[in-house]
Amino acid sequence: MTSPTLPLGTRIAILARLFTLQGSYNYETMIGNGIAFAMEPALRLLPGGATGAAYREAMARESRYFNCHPYFAGIAVGALARAELSLEAPDRIERFRTASCGPLGSVGDRLVWAAWLPLCSLIALVAFGLGLGAPLVVIGFLALYNAGHLALRIWGLHAGWRDGLAVAHALGAPIFRTGPAHLTRAAAFAAGLGFPLAIGTAAGVTPTGVLIIGGIGALGALLLALLHGRVAGWRAAIGLLAVAAAIAVVVR
Amino acid sequence: MPLEHFRIDDRLVHGQVVVGWGQPLQLRFIVLVDDGVASNDWERELYRMGTPPEMELLVETVDSAVARMPEFTARTDAGMLLTADVATMGRLTAAAPAIRDVTIGGLHHRPGRAACLSYVYLSDDEAAGLGAIAARGVRIAAQDLPASSPMPLDDLLRERGA
Repeated sequence: MTSPTLPLGTRIAILARLFTLQGSYNYETMIGNGIAFAMEPALRLLPGGATGAAYREAMARESRYFNCHPYFAGIAVGALARAELSLEAPDRIERFRTASCGPLGSVGDRLVWAAWLPLCSLIALVAFGLGLGAPLVVIGFLALYNAGHLALRIWGLHAGWRDGLAVAHALGAPIFRTGPAHLTRAAAFAAGLGFPLAIGTAAGVTPTGVLIIGGIGALGALLLALLHGRVAGWRAAIGLLAVAAAIAVVVR
Repeated sequence: MPLEHFRIDDRLVHGQVVVGWGQPLQLRFIVLVDDGVASNDWERELYRMGTPPEMELLVETVDSAVARMPEFTARTDAGMLLTADVATMGRLTAAAPAIRDVTIGGLHHRPGRAACLSYVYLSDDEAAGLGAIAARGVRIAAQDLPASSPMPLDDLLRERGA
């Protein structure tokens, strides 16, 4: 069998539909309906076209329960579209659907919700602390966050279609394996820097004061980044409180 | 804390497990028990890619999991055992008395299943299977995340009947 092809127009239609996935969310099929809707332009290429039995069977199959991180759904859609157009056995497709939910959710949650989103938020806080106006901070945050978001969606569809049901190795890329740890370390650094800077700016501290607070914040950020994964959060927080209390006593 | 968490979840390794439970409990290993996954290379590889590098993933059949249970429970690092369905957990609890608590983390909608919670749907067979596990003295509760309140099996089955 020759390898199936996906015309550019179909690819763009699928990519556009991927942005509607979260609107299809419900407790019964989760984003299953959205997966079928996103894939539908590709399924029209099945023998018999959009009125054929193969199309109807594939649509019914792909509308069933499915759940994963929405930004990583493109990987599943690409891989499943390739499998459907390659006329893979339905039970093999069903097994892939079942098996891919968890890993695509796991990688996405670790990379996006637990690392990229906090990092972007904290970078925005640093920008605010450095004196950037609120509109620019918001625009900067949206631009940075969505650069990663859009890149993931586009790459995901491409990788899924390229690798089909063998897409697991694409999830083994370093950015997915060790990337979240690096991003959370960077987020810890940004937190240590951003909070004192933002508090200083909000409180109207003088430029020299901001520099001093920023310097203390940088040291704190470095310490937090070094302690990341070595000390439980509550221990670090209690240590910080103790230092603050000691400073308050000395200053008083 | 050794292997103390035994979870039924049809998604197996996913975000709630590795982030929701994995980070606060500092899980260091996951035992995935599924005869189908254990016999399929690409499925094993897929789940391995979904597991963070700091966690060890052990994919076992029911028989091999039962045989290795003393080894798993003797470990000093925190671990979680996952099955995708009630039947597999039933076979495990019948052969491994070390399992005293089972959490239902997610059994989603499928034809023939009725809703108990937004993340737990049970068929008649599955409800009976859970009853059989509980009859062995195993405590069963539904709980998707550590911060949510566990719902005991009796309440869960009452919701299903409601």
